[in-house]
Parts: sequence; C-alpha cells; structure tokens
Amino acid sequence: MDLLEPTTQAFRLLLAGDPELLRIIWLSLWVSVAAIALVAAPSIGLGFLLAMTRFPGQRTLVVLVQALLSFPTVVIGLVLYLLLSRRGPLGFLELLFTPWAIMIGYMVIALPILVVFTISAVQGADPRVYETARCLGAGLLKASLTTLWEVRFGILAAVVNGFGRAISEVGMAIMVGGNIAGLTRNIPTAIALETTKGDFAQGIALGLVLMVVALGVNVALAALQGEGGLR
Amino acid sequence: MSAPLLELRALHKAFGPRELFGIPRLALEAGGAYVLVGPNGSGKTTLMRILAGLDRDARGFLFFGGESVHVADYPERLRRSIVYVHQHPYLFHTSLRHNLEYGLKCRGVPDAERARRVEEAISWSGLQARVATPPAKLSGGEKQRAALARARALEPQLLLLDEPTSNLDREGRAQTLALLAQLRAERRTVMVACHDQEVIRLEGFTRLRLEDGGIALQSG
Repeated sequence: MDLLEPTTQAFRLLLAGDPELLRIIWLSLWVSVAAIALVAAPSIGLGFLLAMTRFPGQRTLVVLVQALLSFPTVVIGLVLYLLLSRRGPLGFLELLFTPWAIMIGYMVIALPILVVFTISAVQGADPRVYETARCLGAGLLKASLTTLWEVRFGILAAVVNGFGRAISEVGMAIMVGGNIAGLTRNIPTAIALETTKGDFAQGIALGLVLMVVALGVNVALAALQGEGGLR
Repeated sequence: MSAPLLELRALHKAFGPRELFGIPRLALEAGGAYVLVGPNGSGKTTLMRILAGLDRDARGFLFFGGESVHVADYPERLRRSIVYVHQHPYLFHTSLRHNLEYGLKCRGVPDAERARRVEEAISWSGLQARVATPPAKLSGGEKQRAALARARALEPQLLLLDEPTSNLDREGRAQTLALLAQLRAERRTVMVACHDQEVIRLEGFTRLRLEDGGIALQSG
C-alpha cells in the first residue's frame, strides 16, 4: 500500500483547515475536556477519602474501583446505551446519540483512573505532610487540600491519563454517540469509519491530531513535574 | 505557686497488651524549658505526639487552660496552642515564605501582622540569604531552623521539638542549639525530646526521664 499519497493528502487537509475535520477535532476536544473537568473534582475527592480514611466496606470499594479500570469500555457503552435508550430508565432525557451521551461515557471511563491514581498518589505521600499541616493549625479540609497540593504532580498525571483514555475511546463513543457526521463524530470514531471506507487521508490527519494532543499534554505534564522536582 | 500550663494525669499508652508507659502526673510550668530523655523505645516521641493530638489512641487526661480533656478527645483549639515539630521536619514544596506563613494563615492572622512575623521568623532563623531557595534544596540544618522558626512564629503556648539536632552536621547542630538557647532565653515553654548531650546540658532546661514505663524529674 502506498503510504505517501494518503499522508500527503492528510497534511493538505490539515493545512487547508478542512471544516469537516475541524468540526470533528473540536467535538473531540470539548467533550473530553468537559468530561474530565466535571469528573475530576469528585473523583479526586473520592480517591483522597479512600486513601486517608477507614470505614466498613472501604476495601471492597477500592477493589470495585480497581476492577472498573479493566472493565471493557464496550460493556460500559452497552450499559449506557441500555440506560439512555428510549425505553431505558434514563430515556426521557433524550441523550442517546448526542455529545452529552459520549461525555457521560468519558466520565465513567475516566472516573476509576482518576480515583486509583489519586489513591496511589496520596498513599505515597509523606505522612508528615498531613501531620505538619494539622500541627500548624490547619483544619481537616485545609490539611487535606495541602496534602493534595503536595502530591499535585501525581494528581495531574491522573488527570492526563483520564483525558488520554477519554479522547482516544472508540467503542463506547460509537455505541452511545452513533458516529453521526456533524453531531457525534469524533476523532477516534472518524478514524475507525474512514479506515473501513478506505479513506486513509482523513484517518491519518485525525490520527496525527490525536498524537499531537497526547504528546502536548504529556510534554506539559513532564515540564511541570520537572519544575516540581527542582523544589 | 501558679497553676501549671499543662498537666497530664493518669496517662497510659499501650501497644496491644504491652504498656509503653503509665504517667500518674506530669506538670509543665508556663515559661519552662524541658528536655525529655530516655532510652530508644521508651516512648518520648509517642508522648509528644499524644500532647500534640497526633496520637489519640491512649488513655488519660490533659489539663490545659483550666480545662480537662480526655486525650482521645483532643480538641481542635489545642492545636492552636501546642505545636509539634517532627524529628525530620517537613517543609511544604512551595516556598520558604509560604511555609512560614502557613500556620499564621490558618489562624487568620491579618496580612500586615503576618508579613511582620514572617520577616521576623526569617531573621530569627538566620535564613535571609536562603529565602529564594526552594525548601527541598535547603540543608538539613536549614530545614530544621526553618521548621523551628515556622513553629515559633505561631507563638504557641507550648512548643514540642522531637530530636531537633539529630542527623545534622556540626554547623547545623550548632545553629540549632543556639536557637534552642534563644527559645529558653525568650521564656517560651518548650519540651525537647533528645539524646543529644549538648541539648541535655543546655542551661535552664529541666530534665524529664522517661524510662521503664514511667517518667521522673531528674536533677543534675
């Protein structure tokens, strides 16, 4: 197969600012960013609680969240589809085959990543952080926020990973989004579709965008971590 | 004779079936300087952590400011009066100034007063030249001085220092000893747990010996 021709075409599409391509990229970006923005705070809070407190059933909850990490995303898509479909319990919301359905799916996929990474970051924190804050007069909330701030690079890694998983998700996005052109078609679903149609140029162009986004986010994280490492 | 600043009564600490110590009564006078000595494992750090409210898994009563509380119900307001500094103090990964003002902010000290106390803490600890240095880059001695200054800036009624000279080089130790002597000269109520003979011999410090599950005043 000739790779040069579709790759050249892909760059042409990107440089020309193809409106269809831009719409797909924009949809992917805003839905992923919004999903992570919405799910980050509660997930980080839950992760912190699971790491710092002891209560009956806590261990079971941790195992459950960890199990969600390896849950096939198509199954998440299937469950969401059943919940959001017209006859499902949430059908009245009419969210199926809209970007909102994809956003909910992204949130479900990102949640266990954010929780598990936060647990790991907080449990790895020096126990003196929380104690020092408390000894200096911080209340429970302030001492907790101080601890989270001290492990901020671990938390940022959680957010980046959650975002990476969301923006690259295909199966769930097709199931609950329907891959509708101009409405729910995003980067990974468009790549899957264009590849099956044999239109590699658009697939390559979108793949390049996805790689640039992933690289950019990770480079930014590494730069921040590098800065923190100097402290 | 005035009432003691703090009094412990019937304090018992155990790890499972093994009792670490049982202290029938211990009184600390306001303005007093105490050095807590005893062999490794005698419970010096544990006693300090109980006094600081970091270890509530003990039995006994604490009389402070005319009130009696069970150590398991350590009240939040006591944290504003009693400040504990770890053996290896932790400085937040922010800036030296932020570390110094952290507790002041927690106490709602107004901006101008806070700035004044931070400047005073920097000057007291002799860290003027290190203000721009990230805390993680400070030497062990500098970290210890910063932690002492951070605690002192809060003007606590009781300052608990856990082995403040351990693992410091000669220079760091000398500087920390000088700050301890200064705390004594300022009539701060301070309790220092340590093995360091130079600290134990510091002028004006009353020696408390924790050994064989009990505590005793020690002379000489």
